[in-house]
Amino acid sequence: MRLDLTEKHFSDRKVLGALVLQVERGQRVAVLGPSGIGKSTLLRIIAGLDREFSGRLSGEDRLAVVFQEPTLLPWRRALENITIPTGCDTALARQLMGEVGLAGREGQFPRQMSLGQQRRLALARAFAARPDILLMDEPFASLDAETAARMIDLTAALLDRSGAGLILVTHDAGEPARLGANPVTLSGQPARLQQALPSPGA
Amino acid sequence: MSKAQRHIWQSPGLLPGLFSVLAMLVLWAVASQLTERPQVLPAPWVVAARIWSLAASGELWFHAGMTLFRVLASFVIAMAVGIALGLWMGRFRTADHWLNPALVIALNIPALVTIVLAYIWIGLNEVAAITAVALNKIPVVTVMLREGSRALRPDLDDMASAFRMGRLERLRHVVLPQLAPYIAGAARAGISLIWKIVLVVEFLGRSNGVGFKIHLLFSSFDVAGVLAWALAFVAVMLLIDLMILRPWEARANRWRRDEA
Repeated sequence: MRLDLTEKHFSDRKVLGALVLQVERGQRVAVLGPSGIGKSTLLRIIAGLDREFSGRLSGEDRLAVVFQEPTLLPWRRALENITIPTGCDTALARQLMGEVGLAGREGQFPRQMSLGQQRRLALARAFAARPDILLMDEPFASLDAETAARMIDLTAALLDRSGAGLILVTHDAGEPARLGANPVTLSGQPARLQQALPSPGA
Repeated sequence: MSKAQRHIWQSPGLLPGLFSVLAMLVLWAVASQLTERPQVLPAPWVVAARIWSLAASGELWFHAGMTLFRVLASFVIAMAVGIALGLWMGRFRTADHWLNPALVIALNIPALVTIVLAYIWIGLNEVAAITAVALNKIPVVTVMLREGSRALRPDLDDMASAFRMGRLERLRHVVLPQLAPYIAGAARAGISLIWKIVLVVEFLGRSNGVGFKIHLLFSSFDVAGVLAWALAFVAVMLLIDLMILRPWEARANRWRRDEA
């Protein structure tokens, strides 16, 4: 997956400047930066959800997204929330639900699950798409420390097992290290990518 | 049937509802006894006897069946076209800009005008009758569904795009479940509006159906007959609401309830 971005602007405000981001299967990259800098916009461009930018997005990799919110279909049961969007078979969906610790909850509707469980379901859904590169948008942001830690470990384990690459967007400088991801920083106005220094915060 | 009944019996409004109907019947009975000319306001039992004899002769079922057929045919057409138009106008601003004037005009054309023009342009036949009724209802469904389509969740759209869901899959699993409350509302409001328009259509240009019978009874000022047909058909429509529309709505809203 390679993105050659020239620029991205909303009406007359230029949000992102020229930048190049290249990630391959197995590679893990974390894009760091304060909120509002354009991290989510960058991820939406990579995911193909925002096509109004100047530049080029190339690559044949399969991508899957874990959104900031679980973004489940409230009117479909947990198992269907994996099989319907991804088109994967029931066996794989059940196996993934087991791997994220949701075995036995296949028949529940999302609102019958806790937020942590909904997020794990969203994670299972993303892996059910058998991605080459997983895209994550602040997936641990609104979780309490303990739940976030468990989610991070779970994500790392699933990445190891599937061999998928990762582009993580976050404002928490601690997360990249725990996922073994190479941190890059998004900063400036319009924002550009900088290789993060060993001591971020400069 | 048993499901619908359970639904009714569980309702806390059951007793007040029954008493309210009873009170109306008593009021009607008293008024009918006070009037000088019983043919202008016949007693409830006279009307009931009339319904009974209509049902026994089979006449009721034939004409009510014809009316019901017209109601259902125009209902299905109006819902299908209205949902499609509403979805289109709600999702695409350009379509909305272009079609909105026509929609506003259509909403304000009196039902009678549509009916008369349909009979003149298409002819005094079934196609004209059903088209006229559907045309009257389509704008109303369109407006309700346009509201619903504007309220579709963008995050679920993103999710569907990110996972590259197919067009039909998206419609079935992402869009229609969100529109279900609007569709149910349009259906409930629609079916009651439609059957009233169908009677007018039959009154003006059909040779069977409840509206046609009322036309005949009107020429002989037979109030008992008019009331008998009207009440019998109201009962049929209520039954449809209780046995088909409500159970469907309950099923579509299953996911909102907490289960164990």
